[in-house]
Amino acid sequence: MNRARPARTALALLTAAVLALGAGACGGRATTHHKPGTSHAEDTGSNGRLLKADDGDGNRLRQVDADGAPEVDLAVRPDSEDGWNVHLTVRNFRFTPDSVGGGALAGRGHARLFLDGHPLARVYGAWFHLPESLLRAAGGGTRLTAGLYADDHTAWAVGSAPVRATATLTSASASTDDDTTTTVDVAIRGGKVTPAPGRTEIAKGRTVRLRVRSDHDDVLHVHGYDKEAKLPAGRAVTVTFTADRTGLFEVETHESDLLLTQLVVR
Amino acid sequence: MTGTWGPGAVRVLAHGIGAQHDLPLSPFYAFAGAFAALFVSFLALGLLWSHSRFKGERAGRPLPAAVQRPADARATRLAARTLGLGAALFVVLWLLLGPADPDRNPAPGAVYVLLWVGLVPASLLLGPVWRPLNPLRTLHLLACRAFRRTPESGRPLPVRLGMWPAAAGLLAFTWLELVAPDPASSTALLVFLGVHAAVHLTGAAVYGAHWFDHADAFEVYSGLLARLSPLGRRPADGRLVVRSPFNGLDATPQLPGLVATVCVMLGSTAYDGFSDAPRWITTVQTSALGRTTTATLGLLAAVALVATLYALCAGATRLVCGGGLPRPLTAFAHSLVPIALGYLVAHYFTLFATEGPRTLALASGADRPEAPEPPLGPGGVATLQVFAIVTGHVLGVIAAHDRSVRLMPPRRAVIGQLPLLVLMIAYTVGGLALLIA
Repeated sequence: MNRARPARTALALLTAAVLALGAGACGGRATTHHKPGTSHAEDTGSNGRLLKADDGDGNRLRQVDADGAPEVDLAVRPDSEDGWNVHLTVRNFRFTPDSVGGGALAGRGHARLFLDGHPLARVYGAWFHLPESLLRAAGGGTRLTAGLYADDHTAWAVGSAPVRATATLTSASASTDDDTTTTVDVAIRGGKVTPAPGRTEIAKGRTVRLRVRSDHDDVLHVHGYDKEAKLPAGRAVTVTFTADRTGLFEVETHESDLLLTQLVVR
Repeated sequence: MTGTWGPGAVRVLAHGIGAQHDLPLSPFYAFAGAFAALFVSFLALGLLWSHSRFKGERAGRPLPAAVQRPADARATRLAARTLGLGAALFVVLWLLLGPADPDRNPAPGAVYVLLWVGLVPASLLLGPVWRPLNPLRTLHLLACRAFRRTPESGRPLPVRLGMWPAAAGLLAFTWLELVAPDPASSTALLVFLGVHAAVHLTGAAVYGAHWFDHADAFEVYSGLLARLSPLGRRPADGRLVVRSPFNGLDATPQLPGLVATVCVMLGSTAYDGFSDAPRWITTVQTSALGRTTTATLGLLAAVALVATLYALCAGATRLVCGGGLPRPLTAFAHSLVPIALGYLVAHYFTLFATEGPRTLALASGADRPEAPEPPLGPGGVATLQVFAIVTGHVLGVIAAHDRSVRLMPPRRAVIGQLPLLVLMIAYTVGGLALLIA
């Protein structure tokens, strides 16, 4: 009696599963505007591995190897009339607006902008103007994120994290004038810091722009200036501040406890 | 910064220095310092006196009785003991009950800044201040009272022990400060302080209160620096005297382990400077041995390098003097104390001036106080650093010169101090190089 019960339960589950699968198979394919052979069904071909996880917005992640993976950097600069000018710098990636909706092809697709996680716009090129009205319509916010997507709307991902970059829409990042800004780029992969930790000489009063990308979730800390920023895995995060104190200051991560660089302000 | 960010957040103090480090020295200052050191060294060789002048413990001008009486008063001693014990209790309670975040807990700053760095100016001005303050001495005294024993009673100390326990204690403390993965954490500090207290209370229970004189790392550290204080006590008549720091230095007891203690002081401070260099940080961060192991090896290597150079120099001195010199290793160890002091001032001045007030503000109840601006600008700090190192060098050269004209046969005295002079120049140039790095 007791032995029969699990068997019956299993049978019921199996029946339910068959029914569910059958129902799925019987539902006809929706007719769309897509060319034959291309549909919203995600391509599972050789262009990366489709993951169960999504980008938080319903688009599944398409994982590729870190070597040669698409990369993106994001720079923002206030427009003189309205809103912001957004500049995407991509590597191993091409914008292919004419084949959007088609199958995923390695290193191709488009970008999407998010404001504090809310979708803002799709971007088909390196430059984009972000009007103030669009920011207001999205509910406002300061954290602008750009992610790279394949033509089939899956998000390119490395190490289970979408390929993204983040910038802050504040007046601090406004002064991106190259004459007064020192930019320091640092990447952390597998506990290794590239370029190797060194010293960056900065004249007092200049703007320092730190662009850091880590392959693990981490926290960035600039000692002395006490600037902190979350470093979500795989995203380039930009911290901008004015070097108004002299001294030797360390830029560190707090979780992995790595020294990234030392800022020598004099 | 919040306490929730785990071990990394408390690394702020790990460098021995707070949020800000001194700027690397510009080569101009370093070269100026090195030239000054070289010049003074050879000038000293040629011009300084040829008969020993320093009188050690016998020297000094007695202070008026109006000063001596309150200094020796029972109430003063009692107040010092109460202060020391109270401060120790305060630190231990903060460590046990206070928040883990060193931005809100004054205990790590009290140990690493107020005690460790603060002992330097305090001992320089007032003499061996840790002796009357030492809470372990007070605990031992209280225990002796309770068991109706005289504190001094106990077995005689083994002669060969000397200052070796203090050298080991100093190494352990500097390891905790500079190498341990989480030096500002309450656990690490409690373990260190607990072990330190257990070792020294046991030592005092077996050997009596004399144990603290040469075995307690902090008393020895304070006592060695106090050799350079203008205030001293003449052992012959117990009078407080004003004396030349050279006489105080000359009276440094030549105990076994003195060389080791001085080498740990020099080596650990050198490692502190060295460990800021990006190249060393990269080595530590990428080492296959793990960070703590690599950093430990670095600290030990720094101490070993200082000691090896010293031993080589002592060997050379003996060679030059033809073996007429008894124990050349210990005979000149006192002359390294001013050099170590120069290193300490150069490395910790800004830390003490910024983190010291911050720790005091924390202890008096302020929430996350800001450290004050450094009192000296970059140029001022650089000048002070070079001045400290070169002054330490000059004092060391003079102390060693006097000792060599006393110990060596007159014809060998000039050539006999050459190896030591070369060693001191090496230490000084090395110290300046570490400030550039």
